Amino acid sequence: MNPTVAIVGAGPAGLAAAAALTARGVRDIAVFDRDDTVGGLPRYCGHLGFGWEYSHRLEKGSAFIRRLIGETDLSRAALYPRTTVLEMAPGPVLRVVGPETGLREIRPKAVLVATGVRERPRAARLVPGARPERGVLTTGALQQMETRGIPMPGPRAVVIGSEHVAFSVLLTARHCGLKIVAMAEPGNRVLSLAVARPIARVVFGVPVFLNTEIEEIQGRATVEAIVLRTPEGLRRIPCDCVIFSGSFVPDAPLSEEAGLAIDPRTGGPVIDQFMRTSQPGVFAAGNLLRPVESSGVAACEGARAGACIAAFLAGHLDGTQAASVFGLGEGVRYLVPQRWAMDAVDLRDARPLRPSLRVSSDMEAARVTLATDGAVVWQGRRRRLLRERRIAINLDALPSGRPAAPRVDLVA
Amino acid sequence: MADYDVAIIGAGVVGCAIAREFSRYHLRAILLEANSDLCDEASKGNTATLATGNDTPVGSLERKLVVRGHQRYLAEGPSLGLPIRMVGAMTVAFDEAEARVVSEEVRSSRAEGFASVELLNADGIYARVPHLAPGAVAAAWAPDEGIVDGFSTAYAYALDAVVNGVDYRDSAPVTAAHRRDGVWTLTTPGGAVSARLVINCAGLRADHVEALAGYRDLTVKPRRGQYIVYDKRARRLVDVILRPAPTPTTRGVYIAPSIFGNVLLGPTAEEVPDPDDRRVTPEGIAQLTAAARRMLPALLDEPVAAMYAGMRPATEKPEYRIIPRFADGWLTCAGIRSTGLSGALGIAEYVAGLVVPEVVKAARKEAIKPARVPSLADPNIARPWTDAARVAADPFYGEMVCHCERVSVGEIRDALSGPIPVHSLKALKRRTRVMMGRCQGFFCGARVESMLRTGKP
Repeated sequence: MNPTVAIVGAGPAGLAAAAALTARGVRDIAVFDRDDTVGGLPRYCGHLGFGWEYSHRLEKGSAFIRRLIGETDLSRAALYPRTTVLEMAPGPVLRVVGPETGLREIRPKAVLVATGVRERPRAARLVPGARPERGVLTTGALQQMETRGIPMPGPRAVVIGSEHVAFSVLLTARHCGLKIVAMAEPGNRVLSLAVARPIARVVFGVPVFLNTEIEEIQGRATVEAIVLRTPEGLRRIPCDCVIFSGSFVPDAPLSEEAGLAIDPRTGGPVIDQFMRTSQPGVFAAGNLLRPVESSGVAACEGARAGACIAAFLAGHLDGTQAASVFGLGEGVRYLVPQRWAMDAVDLRDARPLRPSLRVSSDMEAARVTLATDGAVVWQGRRRRLLRERRIAINLDALPSGRPAAPRVDLVA
Repeated sequence: MADYDVAIIGAGVVGCAIAREFSRYHLRAILLEANSDLCDEASKGNTATLATGNDTPVGSLERKLVVRGHQRYLAEGPSLGLPIRMVGAMTVAFDEAEARVVSEEVRSSRAEGFASVELLNADGIYARVPHLAPGAVAAAWAPDEGIVDGFSTAYAYALDAVVNGVDYRDSAPVTAAHRRDGVWTLTTPGGAVSARLVINCAGLRADHVEALAGYRDLTVKPRRGQYIVYDKRARRLVDVILRPAPTPTTRGVYIAPSIFGNVLLGPTAEEVPDPDDRRVTPEGIAQLTAAARRMLPALLDEPVAAMYAGMRPATEKPEYRIIPRFADGWLTCAGIRSTGLSGALGIAEYVAGLVVPEVVKAARKEAIKPARVPSLADPNIARPWTDAARVAADPFYGEMVCHCERVSVGEIRDALSGPIPVHSLKALKRRTRVMMGRCQGFFCGARVESMLRTGKP
């Protein structure tokens, strides 16, 4: 086993990269995934809502994954589920362990890191109270339990958070006999679509408490209740489980331990527009880059990374970054890519770059400006800039060659 | 005729160590645990440091037994498979008053025979902990303090005891105790157990067990200690045990590396009426983060992996309560407050020395069967998945279930089939560290539940 390209993580980004690579004739690709089946998080989601940006179809998570595998020439790309990349070192050199691979070192020419995101669990949110053995979990764990046929901790659940994934629980709950009795969001509005709150209340009969923190979780062996601090005062809600949803963080330990430059704003590796990290031959894509875009965007990034890696293998693209770092104005939470490289590479047949731009706090309206050397090269007017929503920006307006001091600003 | 010569009530670290000690003699012993797993009360929630005893009361039994326990742990832990890292402990002074306290600690430690304890100046302090908050002026440095795996320690002692002939029964709370003709009959839900000598190691419930036998001279005063566990990334900030200068009332909040590669912040010290009240409270979290801000502010930027609260089995007196009542065939071993993990092997030797041969006549065994637990330390080169030959021979060692703590299918399978059964998720967590990492089961929770239910990967 001596692959040319190693892909770490077989979620939407990793699988789309494998498809793009095989479509460009690259052989000897190994796709590693540490779970017992490939597919990443969408494989646990049996409801619609996946892949739109990639395929312009709205599919179930599992169907979207099947589509991505179907697009991959499996004679050129081998999928290795149950296989963990333990370490990554410059070279790149990977230490891999799995039942099929055994424990071995591999030296591929290129690596794509696509290890995705996870939800922040209860402890990381410093939620006080009792710590029952069961019944406090994340949406991801709940969806896996449903898929794997594990009985739920009890009928009554309270969901914390209001991102899309929180409402995905409403759909999952129907299949597995859970009754959502309340949803609680610390912020002043629902972070999923604005209609989600009335839908939750009217269609599912679930009250959504806004501006609400958790006072404590109660229970010994199992969860008995949650006490919420709502604007109207403390409210004790008897329940059997508390589901912490959303609040995603990149699962970046492999990247961190490998010494890739990490952007403290995103928690993921720093990349340039060709998906290159700070280490030669190491690329990154998908929600590892930042929390969080849709599965369709992650797949688009993976496909773009696949095209970039093919260009790198063909000698059209350097393995390293020689790039300028974007300056970010006040109110910009993060921008991915963080760097803009001088390489002039023809990637016209590749998926376009989809920059991830986010604001630090909600804004009613703003002008987004892209400048280099103090001169604005692109600007766009945006209304209702919400913290969790992607803001479109056209980085391709930057002049070719190395732009000096590129920066992005928000002008109210 | 009694079933056993000795019955030990309570499989915390002290009860397990005592059971192991008696397994070295030709006698019949049983270890009874009220919960479904051992190490499920006081022993499960502490800082997991191996203390030298230099900060225990001068001249106390506690000091004597902790010193001996530390010595024996270093000698015997490795052969049980128990990992130890001698990271050292630093008690830091941030002003002149605190500096007087720590230099007095150094002076008295050295006078009492802790020769390796030394006084550090600012240069020595920051050389060892560059991320320490500015302003430290002096520190007491105790290089012989270590960090260990508290769960595996109790398990290793119990396993060694069982392998060498001690009976172990879990889910066996003692609900009544009666003595007749020199034999105690202990009632448990699974049936009665009779023994000539009973050793009460019931920790947080020691006073209840004492009351079953009619002793009322001891009251347990549970003292809760809350902790925050920081993700492994934080270990770059500190690799020594950091302690604030003690005040007359408290030893304060520590920052300690864990043997599993995390950083612990804790404990608080709160007297609570209910020994099962292991809540983490907003006040506790605030106290811990304030302590970190004072000593190692960079820690507060690190992600939190877990929180827990431990419960110390203190009594109304600030000392070990090892009380022989041999006329009644009873021995009380209570009040092992904070130093049980470090002192257990010293306590066990002391207790066995009281019992054999005066109370129970038994010869020492000549041959001891080896017992070994898997090391769960990080960094570690002893996990099965770090050995290509083992993975090749048994591919289940190559398949990870828990990714944050890197626990393989094979390791979970081994834990589920060990001689001391795993009946619960929490027992499996303690035996293997599944779900104990930063994701707290996001990736592996469902699969672990599935393995626990079916026994299959």
